[in-house]
Amino acid sequence: MSDTPPKAKPTDQPGVFLRDHVYDGIEEFDQKLPNWWLFTLYITIVLFVIYWFLYYQMGWFQSDTEKIDAQIAVLEQKRDAELQKMLATLDDDGLWEMSEDVAAVQAGAKVFEKNCVLCHGEDLGAIGPLGQLPGVALNDTDWVHGGNPMDVFNIINEGSPNTTSGMIAWSTSVSAADIAKVTAFIMSHHTKGEEWNTVPSQYAQPGEGGTSTPPPSPPPPAP
Amino acid sequence: MASATQKKPNLDSVTTINEDGSRFFLHPADVDGRFTHWRRYVGAILLSIYVLLPWIPINGYPAVFFDLLNRRFHLFGLTFVTEDLWLGFFLLTGLGFGLFYITAVAGRLWCGWTCPYTVFLEHIYRRIERWIEGDAPARRKLDRAPWNNEKIFKRSLKQFLFFLVSALIAHIFLSYFVSIPRLYQYMQESPLAHAKAFGVVTFLTLALYGSFAWFREQFCIILCPYGRIQSALTDDNTMVIGYDEKRGEPRGKATDPDNGDCINCSRCVQVCPTGIDIRNGLQLECIGCAACVDACDTIMDKLERPRGLVRYDSLNGLEGGKTKIIRPRIILYTGFLLLGLAVMTFFMRSLHNADAEVQRLAGQPFYFSEQGVRNQFELRLVTKQNEETTFTARVVDAPEGLQVNGLEEPIVVPPQSEITKPFFALIPGESYTGRVPLKFEITIEPGDFTVESEITFLGPSLYFVREQLEKFASEKASPEESTAP
Repeated sequence: MSDTPPKAKPTDQPGVFLRDHVYDGIEEFDQKLPNWWLFTLYITIVLFVIYWFLYYQMGWFQSDTEKIDAQIAVLEQKRDAELQKMLATLDDDGLWEMSEDVAAVQAGAKVFEKNCVLCHGEDLGAIGPLGQLPGVALNDTDWVHGGNPMDVFNIINEGSPNTTSGMIAWSTSVSAADIAKVTAFIMSHHTKGEEWNTVPSQYAQPGEGGTSTPPPSPPPPAP
Repeated sequence: MASATQKKPNLDSVTTINEDGSRFFLHPADVDGRFTHWRRYVGAILLSIYVLLPWIPINGYPAVFFDLLNRRFHLFGLTFVTEDLWLGFFLLTGLGFGLFYITAVAGRLWCGWTCPYTVFLEHIYRRIERWIEGDAPARRKLDRAPWNNEKIFKRSLKQFLFFLVSALIAHIFLSYFVSIPRLYQYMQESPLAHAKAFGVVTFLTLALYGSFAWFREQFCIILCPYGRIQSALTDDNTMVIGYDEKRGEPRGKATDPDNGDCINCSRCVQVCPTGIDIRNGLQLECIGCAACVDACDTIMDKLERPRGLVRYDSLNGLEGGKTKIIRPRIILYTGFLLLGLAVMTFFMRSLHNADAEVQRLAGQPFYFSEQGVRNQFELRLVTKQNEETTFTARVVDAPEGLQVNGLEEPIVVPPQSEITKPFFALIPGESYTGRVPLKFEITIEPGDFTVESEITFLGPSLYFVREQLEKFASEKASPEESTAP
């Protein structure tokens, strides 16, 4: 191919030419770009190849989304593992024992104060200065979902089966260890082997499981 | 090569770029005069401000400290948190508009006198170069010289000092974000211990070094967006630096009485840091540094001709007309400026060094039982004070029967922290009249000021509440239904 199109209009300046077109009276010089400017173009091309090779061909680096997803997966795995480990070692007897460990109970009280106090009350009675709180009383022998320590642990961890007005599952925001501690704190208000009853939830609608017909006697607490 | 000679600037091509695209390095000549002096004073003041701000403590923090680690921003004794970031709108628009305003009135004053790029380049890097390599002819000579010992020594010393200064400026920049003590601590540890901070400083050092040792005026001429905007904001009444053609032309020997005042000595071209000839008229490359004004004044003084052949004036003024400072555009800009200031003042009034807000707790929006309708809220309290802050909340114009549980006691928040305090509000069924706004007034000590926060008390429909109340009443009437055995 021949050289660039004929340099149509020379200017007063030697070596400077105008291109052959005029738009709205605007003309264009035909000059070389600064070399450093061209270099910025070349460097982006080179960087693209390097990037494409490292990220898409070799997979040596992760994108931000992948990094976050991986991190979340690690956290979830860690939480699951912690829970499994906890569940494997945890039983009613262990939790009863924990409920006598002052340090564990104090730690549990802190967790309770932060997350539970608003609904279950400061003394666990679910009674505030203004009357009944949304939660169930935890200091009496009436239980909605079972009164063994493991029942309590599970209901905190998994939440109430009543998903519209019952308690949420705390496993997403409180660690399994902390749930165990708060269970120990709650159980420290009870004694091992005490009698307990299953009562319907206060949120049960009148008519379905009303209080006039008490449910059959609860199973005896675990020995 | 080409940079060792001199070029005649023209309007068709950029002086600093050769025909083949290579760079033409400028060696602006020394200049002395009133604007040069004033520019040095301004530069010295600005550099001192830049260096000293992180060292001056106000209210226990550096005068300017963007504490990214704790997400606290300390500005001259005021502390801002990330929630105050909306104020950045006023900062950015204010700076942008200020630039517009100054440019419309006084041209590219910013570029020549106060732009950090110019200040660093003119008052630090070029001074170092002048000190080591000598004046413009000496520098050109050095360019041409073979790589002998002297050249190697001078060039390496210069580059070394350039690098050192760049590192220094970069470290000062970092200290705005980590504070001087922490910076000092970082510097004593391994670079890997604070890899991000070290990376920022390294990048900045290289960028500054590359900019001022090599790139120089290319940035102002080709890359800087503000230069382009400013060129577009200039009109015939804007103060620019210009050449009085009427007085100067025709150029020529001073001895010829037919000639104008310009003796074509080209001093104005030799001193120009962007390599233009101001006598070609107002050009995109002109950063308004006034070097050519001082250069021409010196020559005029020698010739005993009046100063100001090249001077600060508007295009109208240079043509012999009058400069109109007050023109519709300036009046409009002033109006916008005042409007912006008024809006900012209005919003700044609501800014305190502590804040409180009532929010709804996650979960059910409301509960309804025999006691009445209950809403669960939380009070979010944040203090930017360096001492314990006490918050006392109360409800203003409380609806009938309203009871609030959890806000009886004043709440003490530790210095520089944020806490949430859950509470609930209850309206007995008999007093319940439907949704109602609750207005909280929170008194904050120390400082003794109040902030207000409003939230809607939610509940079921009034009809439903009435119906349920009747049901509760009838249940009470038959006692065996209301109590478990």
